[in-house]
Amino acid sequence: MLVIVAGIAAVLRPRAASTLDFYLAGQRVGVATNACAICGDYFSAASFLGVAAAVYVSGLDGVWYATGFAAGFVPVLLFVAAPLRRFGEFSIPDFLGRRLESEKVRLAAVTVIQLIILSYLVPQAVGSGITWELLVGHGIAGLSPYATGVLFSTAAITALVALGGMRGTTWTQAVQFLLLLSAFIWLTIAVIGAGFNYPDAVAELTREPLGNPEHAGGQWRTATEPNRIEPGTPAYFGEPGARYGRLGQFALIITLIMGTAGLPHIMNRYFTSPTGTAARMTTVWVLGLAGLFYTLAVLLGTAARTIIADAADELPWLDALTVHGVLRVPEHAPLVLGRIYGGELGLGFIATGALVAVMSTIAGLLLASAASWGHDVYERHLNPRATQRQAVWAGRIAVAVVALLSAVIAVSLRPDSLGALLPSMVATMVTWAFALAGSALTPVFLLAIWWPRTTATGAIAGMSTGAAAAMAMFAAGTFADDSGLREMLLTPTVVAAPLAVVVTIVVSRHTSTPVNLESLWLRLHGTAADRHITRLARLTVAGVTPRRARATRHDGTRGRMGKGERHE
Amino acid sequence: MDASCRTLRRVAIGYFTVFLVVVLAVPGLTLALDWWSRGRLIGGMSPNFVMAAVGLYVFFFVIAIAAATLANAVEGRMLGGPGPGHDPDNGQRDQS
Repeated sequence: MLVIVAGIAAVLRPRAASTLDFYLAGQRVGVATNACAICGDYFSAASFLGVAAAVYVSGLDGVWYATGFAAGFVPVLLFVAAPLRRFGEFSIPDFLGRRLESEKVRLAAVTVIQLIILSYLVPQAVGSGITWELLVGHGIAGLSPYATGVLFSTAAITALVALGGMRGTTWTQAVQFLLLLSAFIWLTIAVIGAGFNYPDAVAELTREPLGNPEHAGGQWRTATEPNRIEPGTPAYFGEPGARYGRLGQFALIITLIMGTAGLPHIMNRYFTSPTGTAARMTTVWVLGLAGLFYTLAVLLGTAARTIIADAADELPWLDALTVHGVLRVPEHAPLVLGRIYGGELGLGFIATGALVAVMSTIAGLLLASAASWGHDVYERHLNPRATQRQAVWAGRIAVAVVALLSAVIAVSLRPDSLGALLPSMVATMVTWAFALAGSALTPVFLLAIWWPRTTATGAIAGMSTGAAAAMAMFAAGTFADDSGLREMLLTPTVVAAPLAVVVTIVVSRHTSTPVNLESLWLRLHGTAADRHITRLARLTVAGVTPRRARATRHDGTRGRMGKGERHE
Repeated sequence: MDASCRTLRRVAIGYFTVFLVVVLAVPGLTLALDWWSRGRLIGGMSPNFVMAAVGLYVFFFVIAIAAATLANAVEGRMLGGPGPGHDPDNGQRDQS
């Protein structure tokens, strides 16, 4: 698989060494390809391992991760996709900097985006370490299996991204998504073919209180999960309350809904669409594919809970991984199912899917990081006279530095040291990235697109407030004793995002809008460029050469395009 | 273009409101109706489980298709469609 992916990256590498090719794949990525690439980018270890793990460990409350991850694309479709593409640019900081005509906004956005990228990269690297540990079981050059997995996957994907740029990454991510989906489809067919009945399994699991392993006093034991909605009673698999209290149920879903629109690696993909309308329709496809993917992930989390418990007595190799038939590390759930139904080959297939999920997301994050360092900092501030080749190399160096930093942080975290604190560590850590994105970036992003009065000073104030509030709440939540308050503080978007909106609006009302607001607004919401591109594409398909097409466009008697532009 | 922008903003806010109400209603009904979380709809699945595990994804897809179709239509009518011969001044197809 790695060889195939490397081959795609090598064949599609940006030969012209232009930043448009390296960061945006020449802005010619079609709807279906881009939708698959966005899914490959978005479905990370949190989706492939984390969602099934969250369902496995928390039942219905874990399902909310899947729902929130998918739901986030609805506001993207409604508010962001088309205008973002129509305005163009290379990255979110580039978009905000040009829309608000301010270099300070650009640099503030770069800072926030680097924090989001790092928060997102670390759990991916953790996911690769966990997978390597289970799949290979031994390290290289004296390293632990976990550290070897982290370093190997990070190094491999760094090389692919530096080589392939956005064009190579687009195709590898699309292929990687199809592999992820096929892994889940195979596992679902295998599970159902072996007699798994989804509704009956939920009923069976809900008869007894939900129990999970915990490590206390040097020994593993199974502890019943308390119901956080009805204190004093046990939690059940098919009912809410195993993970979140009354407020936490809403706080998590709002955090995930708001976060997606602020994820730099996902939003950057919209700049690669040829038109705003194509970007909008790409999101419709993404929602369809995400629905299918997460439905299967939830089913497999449920299946793992019943099947692994039943198989624990018959399969000796499960002894080291389970306590009374329940997995110690819930992220192992899809991998163990793969081994039960496909032996070592099945484990290898699912583990490859997990590594691919990690690598495709790392690729997108590294490219987003490269775009913001290489384009927004290096090209705009450090070396404004940089050649295209120098700018691309700056992006490649940024890829290597950010990858190394995330790998070092991931190696310093041991998954089993945090396992007791965070039921599904990978999904929980990714939620932090969503919280930061939804609190600091999404509010400013939405206002900049839909409220013309937004100013640069207001945007900086809003971003700073959202980021500071989110981080302060995280820190407070880590030490909070009360479980209701704690879960609220650890998913802070429900408070931090409205705060960022209010601050942005208040400050914007007391400061000046950009001088060229009218032309900026036209560029953001006008469709002339879309129509131009669509018409050229249709003429090309109809066999008219580009030269003829240009001549047609300049012909006053047939110049519909010109009339359209005047009409706006 | 200002009119189309305002219309698209209204469309987006309208669909977003429907989306938010439905999504938040799923955990919200847990607090109001015991049957929502403990009743049985399909086999052993409660209505809450069915909605969270399958139903909401179908809803997201349907609302996405409806919103995208309406937004594309609004842009086509108010700013001009992409098709050859489309006349944005009167919103009708020009067959010439």
